[in-house]
Amino acid sequence: MSRKAIVCACEDVTVADLETAVARGHRDVESIKRYTGFGTGVCQGKSCLSTVGRFLCDRKVQSADGVSPFTPRPPLFPTELSLYATLPVAEKQADVGGVPLSLRISQPALKPKSPVRSRADVVIIGGGIMGLALAYNLAQRGIKDVLVLEKGYLCAGASGRNGGGVRMQWGTASNISLAKRSIDLMKRFARDLGINIWLRQGGYLFLARSAAVAEKMERATKLHHQHGVKTELMSPDAARDVVPEMSFKDIKLCAFNPEDGVIFPWPFLWGYAQGATKLGVGIETFTSVTGFEVSEGRIRKVRTDRGDIACETVVLAAGAWSPEIAKLVDVKLPNEPHRHEILSTEPLKPFLGPLVSILDTGLYFSQSMRGEIVGGMGNPFEPAGLELGSSSNFLARFSRALTEQLPQAGRVKVLRQWAGAYDVTPDNNPILGRTPGLPNLLQMSGFVGHGFMMAPAVAERMAAWMAEGCGTSDELFTRFTLDRFKSGKLEREDMIIG
Amino acid sequence: MRRLPQSPRKGAAITVELDGEPIPAIEGEPVACSLLAAGETVFARSVKYHRPRGPTCFESSCSNCLMRVDGAPNQFTCQVPARAGMRLERQNAFPSAKMDVFASIDWLFPKGLDHHEMFAGVPVAENVMAKVARHLAGLGLFPKTEADPRPALEVIRIPVCIVGAGAAGLAASSVLSDASVAHWVVEQDAHVGGRFSLRDPAASKDWKAGPGATVALRTQVVGLYVDAEGKFLLALTGGTRQRLVKIYARSYLLAAGGHSPLLPFENNDLPGIFTAHAAAVLLRREGLLPGSAVAIVGESDAVDETKRLCDQFGVNTVLALGTEGSRVDGGIVRAHGPTHVRGITVTVGAGSKKRVDCDAIVVAMPPSARFELARQGGARVAFSERHRGFVVEANEDGVTQVPDIFVAGDVTGPKSFEQARAQGAAAAKHVVARSEQVGAMR
Repeated sequence: MSRKAIVCACEDVTVADLETAVARGHRDVESIKRYTGFGTGVCQGKSCLSTVGRFLCDRKVQSADGVSPFTPRPPLFPTELSLYATLPVAEKQADVGGVPLSLRISQPALKPKSPVRSRADVVIIGGGIMGLALAYNLAQRGIKDVLVLEKGYLCAGASGRNGGGVRMQWGTASNISLAKRSIDLMKRFARDLGINIWLRQGGYLFLARSAAVAEKMERATKLHHQHGVKTELMSPDAARDVVPEMSFKDIKLCAFNPEDGVIFPWPFLWGYAQGATKLGVGIETFTSVTGFEVSEGRIRKVRTDRGDIACETVVLAAGAWSPEIAKLVDVKLPNEPHRHEILSTEPLKPFLGPLVSILDTGLYFSQSMRGEIVGGMGNPFEPAGLELGSSSNFLARFSRALTEQLPQAGRVKVLRQWAGAYDVTPDNNPILGRTPGLPNLLQMSGFVGHGFMMAPAVAERMAAWMAEGCGTSDELFTRFTLDRFKSGKLEREDMIIG
Repeated sequence: MRRLPQSPRKGAAITVELDGEPIPAIEGEPVACSLLAAGETVFARSVKYHRPRGPTCFESSCSNCLMRVDGAPNQFTCQVPARAGMRLERQNAFPSAKMDVFASIDWLFPKGLDHHEMFAGVPVAENVMAKVARHLAGLGLFPKTEADPRPALEVIRIPVCIVGAGAAGLAASSVLSDASVAHWVVEQDAHVGGRFSLRDPAASKDWKAGPGATVALRTQVVGLYVDAEGKFLLALTGGTRQRLVKIYARSYLLAAGGHSPLLPFENNDLPGIFTAHAAAVLLRREGLLPGSAVAIVGESDAVDETKRLCDQFGVNTVLALGTEGSRVDGGIVRAHGPTHVRGITVTVGAGSKKRVDCDAIVVAMPPSARFELARQGGARVAFSERHRGFVVEANEDGVTQVPDIFVAGDVTGPKSFEQARAQGAAAAKHVVARSEQVGAMR
């Protein structure tokens, strides 16, 4: 098999690219898809998938039962947004159902046969952006006996499913400063970790339709200025220069920060994972936590389906899955998982600079580095749950909302839709710090669908706080603790979109 | 590429426009055929290495024939019918598809370009690369105009929906009709019969769905969804006036067949390389010769079949090399040619190589299953070592683990005509039994 042979003609993926992916530790179809980009073009894997399956089998990268096709995401044929806009919208209802009917993030055949190591100073549960960034930062501070447990492949959870938006335009001082620091860290990510994350600072353009939302925007902008974020309030006429193709009908006010932007989420995880591994951190994928051994008010061991791990400290960074894990040790977390759907279109030449979001409805869309329009819109009627299928009602809602704002997008074809879980807390703020009654269980979840952009800064501060003994050195880990929900003094973040 | 002199005239002689230049065409034929007949072989440049691209599969299963058509990006020219005055534009080609300056990326980086690690962390270079990459990426342009108003959504409620009007689907339809079970048959092609109708057009002329069935041709499935009312198939139909149709059925019989897998040999993406299906479409339906010197490579049986087809049409076959199924690369070392096939090097015997001059390569392989819809519906899909591809898990009768999903034909692994028909009929009998049960429950 020639190394130069093309495996995926849509994306120019070669046999050599598959070999590199395997050499970097990506051994399952979903991971290799993400690392190489095969199967993400217009044909959606029709011509390449079985070829990759053969490659994995022939090279003995996987046994045949470990070779599964990647999730066949709708549409199976590129379909214009204007066609989806003919679907009826079920108003004020949850987006029922989702395809595929069963997602298999954790497949038994992919589980490593060997047991996990029996001891680690720190066990981090969740190999998403939070857990991996923390592992890297801990190792940099000399805390290297760290083991990260991930039940699926890297990028299986929300970290691999988000739209890649990063912004400083937040509604509370804590979030603004975290996001600012994160964007600084993103700018040097390639230098620090040797992998491109394709940060493109095209700005975020927020739009307000109602007077109430415009007022909220004005308030937030004042706060941004206090913290050195150069958000500019704009009339719809002025904003037309930023996105000339867009309709500004019924828009009252706009806010634009040119330093916000978009990144490509997946390399972020791989970068942190590679960086952490080089420093001695262990990362175990396809490994599930099944329970805990607790004595004298401390977690002594983390139980997994590949054996027990004795440890000093446990960090719960499992995103929307955190409440499920916490339940195993009788800790009740107030987070609730909420499905948020998203889609991606055919790749087009650059035409859209900023990420645009209507603050009233949660509609957002941007153009990725590869040229796709990537966008979503939350449904406030979506019930809590870990359903991650794709619905047709989302297509109906999103395509109508997008074509209202960007009418020519009606002729653009959708290539893929998928869903991820927002990890929603009662005040839209994260849960950090020690767990009451179980001091060596540290919380790191509840980022309400926006954790990706916060992770570099949060992990940096959390590693420093842990290195200093988890005391009161950083107010972040006393302000956002689990017990705040009992005291009832909550500071609400309301610049949540999606 | 030449038109076959003996082929019947399909439509009026018209003119289409390619990058502003007039091109003679025949009304109604896939416009890719018009371009090929006019000697245009490079349809676009690829996304990353700006390699030349030309039509390959003629079943909208790859992206090699995409063009901007009348301002709409990424249209499958292997499907879009030619219309007088139609404006075609090549995508991703600068300044032109034949002489693309960015193609230098391909030979400047002979080992490929690792976009993850290239220039990562190199000051200045990193930023320049990001800017360049953004402009190199993307296919086609954001449309300048809005879409025409779309026809309203059609909603169908029917006991059974069959996907695929090939050997399996038609056999199933006939069983359902015999049992008076109302059903739709959805087919992406403009003809019923599937791949076997291309093998034997004379015999397949009389093939049709069971009496009373509604057959929706030129209909592409989008997905198998669930909403408050239940499971439904979302499909794109209506030819040039596209509309969406939602089909709520109590049982789905998925017999969508397969498509040609890609063989990994060097230069396997050169214009002038066709799948066996494409060669059959060109010869039998469109009256076009794939080339004047054709090399056929792939899996033995499929190669033999294509060879017979070529012989029948008097195609000059310069090589027919079939290897047994276990070989991944079919014994092909590489294809040669700058922007179009000029030759092929293959392994013959123990390690010795042979170069053959040719202007077209037909890759003939057993179909790889269209399993996606069954998987969306909840059926299990596994990698079959025997078939060396993914197949839907089902018993011999096409019964899956999901009560309302049945499968037949190539989706469970490549089948002969008789095998596909038998499985289609067997699956349909289970569907009939289920329809009676479900009917009785209501």
